[in-house]
Amino acid sequence: MIEDIISLTSSTLIYMVPLVLAGVGEIITERSGVVNIGLEGIFVLSSFTATIVTFITGNPYLGLFSGTIIGLLAGVLHGVVSVYLRGNQIIAGVGFNTLAYGISIMGLVTIWKQHGASPSVSKIPMVSLKIREGLTFTISPLSIAAILIAIGTWYWLFKTTSGLKLRACGEDPKSAEAMGVNVFRTRFYATVVGGILTGLGGAYLTVGWIGQFTRHISAGRGFIALANVAFSNWNPLMAIVGGMIFGFFDVLSIYLPIKIQLIYPEVKITTLAYLFKTIPYIGTLAVVSLIIGRARVPRALGKPYIKE
Amino acid sequence: MMSLAHFLMKFRERIRARYEEYLVITIETLASAIIGFSIGALVLYILGFNPAKIYFILFSKGLSNPNYLLSKSTPIMLTGLAFAIPMLAGVFNIGGEGQLYIGALISLIVVTSTHNPALGILAGMVAGAALGTFKAVLKVYRGVNEVIAAIMLNWVMYFLILYLLTEKLYNPQIPHESIPVPEDARLGKIPTPIGDIRLIFFIAVIASLIIYYILYYTNIGYMLRVAGLSPKTAKYAGFNPNLAIIYSMALGGAMAGLGGSLLLIGYVYSIDTTMSTLFGLGFTGIGVALLGRNNPIGIIFSAIFFSMLIIGGEMIELLAGAPPELADVLTGVIVIALALPYMYRMLISYMRIRRLIKK
Repeated sequence: MIEDIISLTSSTLIYMVPLVLAGVGEIITERSGVVNIGLEGIFVLSSFTATIVTFITGNPYLGLFSGTIIGLLAGVLHGVVSVYLRGNQIIAGVGFNTLAYGISIMGLVTIWKQHGASPSVSKIPMVSLKIREGLTFTISPLSIAAILIAIGTWYWLFKTTSGLKLRACGEDPKSAEAMGVNVFRTRFYATVVGGILTGLGGAYLTVGWIGQFTRHISAGRGFIALANVAFSNWNPLMAIVGGMIFGFFDVLSIYLPIKIQLIYPEVKITTLAYLFKTIPYIGTLAVVSLIIGRARVPRALGKPYIKE
Repeated sequence: MMSLAHFLMKFRERIRARYEEYLVITIETLASAIIGFSIGALVLYILGFNPAKIYFILFSKGLSNPNYLLSKSTPIMLTGLAFAIPMLAGVFNIGGEGQLYIGALISLIVVTSTHNPALGILAGMVAGAALGTFKAVLKVYRGVNEVIAAIMLNWVMYFLILYLLTEKLYNPQIPHESIPVPEDARLGKIPTPIGDIRLIFFIAVIASLIIYYILYYTNIGYMLRVAGLSPKTAKYAGFNPNLAIIYSMALGGAMAGLGGSLLLIGYVYSIDTTMSTLFGLGFTGIGVALLGRNNPIGIIFSAIFFSMLIIGGEMIELLAGAPPELADVLTGVIVIALALPYMYRMLISYMRIRRLIKK
């Protein structure tokens, strides 16, 4: 029993990292008034890049770094499109998701001649705490980093002047401009920062957790991170809680079939496992539809700012 | 004859009156295709392929077989409509993927038990519409973002169908495929001057025309478009914008469901257990709708264009060993480029100012 609780907790802390990082990044972006639904695409592309870099250099930290660079570039692209060119943010995000998927799979096929998954690469080692004989608590260093980043972002957004300015851009850009805030620049940087954090989360998927790139590596996780943003009511501290809840659903989808197999060896689990894979999606949808009534969306969210 | 002349005159007047708008549309469509193919060439070059050779194969092979081209355009034409109709009412339906899955699944179940293709198609449409309505209801009454709901339901459908295919509906003779559509319930081909064309293409074109009629010549269509342009105006006019969202999602869902059932009953006849026959058709539909400017007539042609990209993608894999996902790269870039109407307007006014200065 105690073993189950320990392993579920540590898995949840491992699974929540991309959801928290991308969620916090998207909170920064959306608080400034820009929606980026290309999180899924950033996840795919940065996890793919991290895999290549780690495969060539053998250093997972370089892989992690390269993933954040991809996130930065994606943020720059989305920032230019949605802030300066006043593009439709949702459509640009959908397009980026398709583009990122296409590039990554093309690369996968060309480089490794594989259609499903890349070879395994070295990973960032997990931290283990020995509780007693035969019982260890494993956690990724990035789980701690993600929580610290979320707390830091909360402090920045709600307790500093620059955070207030950023939020003003998302609530009422005209007043922000009157106060002397450069709305264009603030929104652009917010989008880039959001991209960087999402890129970090995407790189973590391969070099921090799974250890290889697969075709459906993200499988809607970018959109679960978006659901996390709405769940958190655009508050980074709540994004940690949301990440744990949504991460826990993900853990259950893997954990339950294994447990059932142990208890009832006669059940044919391979096909039944597909049904358990729906848990994270149904759970996310259920949580979001039960809770979202009280959410308060930044008022200028998704509307391009037009200077007079 | 008189009426034709009259029609042409009307047409010319219309073009002259909306000259600027049409110019922007033309530039936008062409520019996005050019940007798409340039970035695609860059990606190909980086990966070590010769872009000129790949594009030659893409275009020449993509267009070589009319029946194949039009058959492949059928499901994406309908998922294009599934995106376009809600888009006109101001809702993003990126769940065409899941709606297509459920349409194919339900019509497979119905058609194998009743041997009646019409009933199967109807059931597929109803299933897609039900899924669309569900998302609209979540949005209207629970404030759930339709994009999040759509992706969650897409993946639920994906794994649900994988489960049903591998557990219940698999073909005992060919375990990696579903039970096939019975021979007597399949839709075939009809002869035309350009060869035998699958019936499903004509059904999809008729569906597009019906949607065009509904959107531009009926009260419901008017209500949808007003609600999409301005929910406030719709309220003043006595329309309920929430009802417009629900109607548009139901209609869109029905189209994606129809796409799934036509693909199954009239073309592939069974689904493989990795879902590769269905995967991605809903997302390609978004590109189809945007390139077709959310106009049902435009969508017919844009679906054929995207069908060429998909077929070309398959051919470059066979002939040059290049990955077929090139089609995804091209689609993605074209979609991003189509999100930027303001940029093209700026470009036009910039060129106009330069011309004035030169004078």
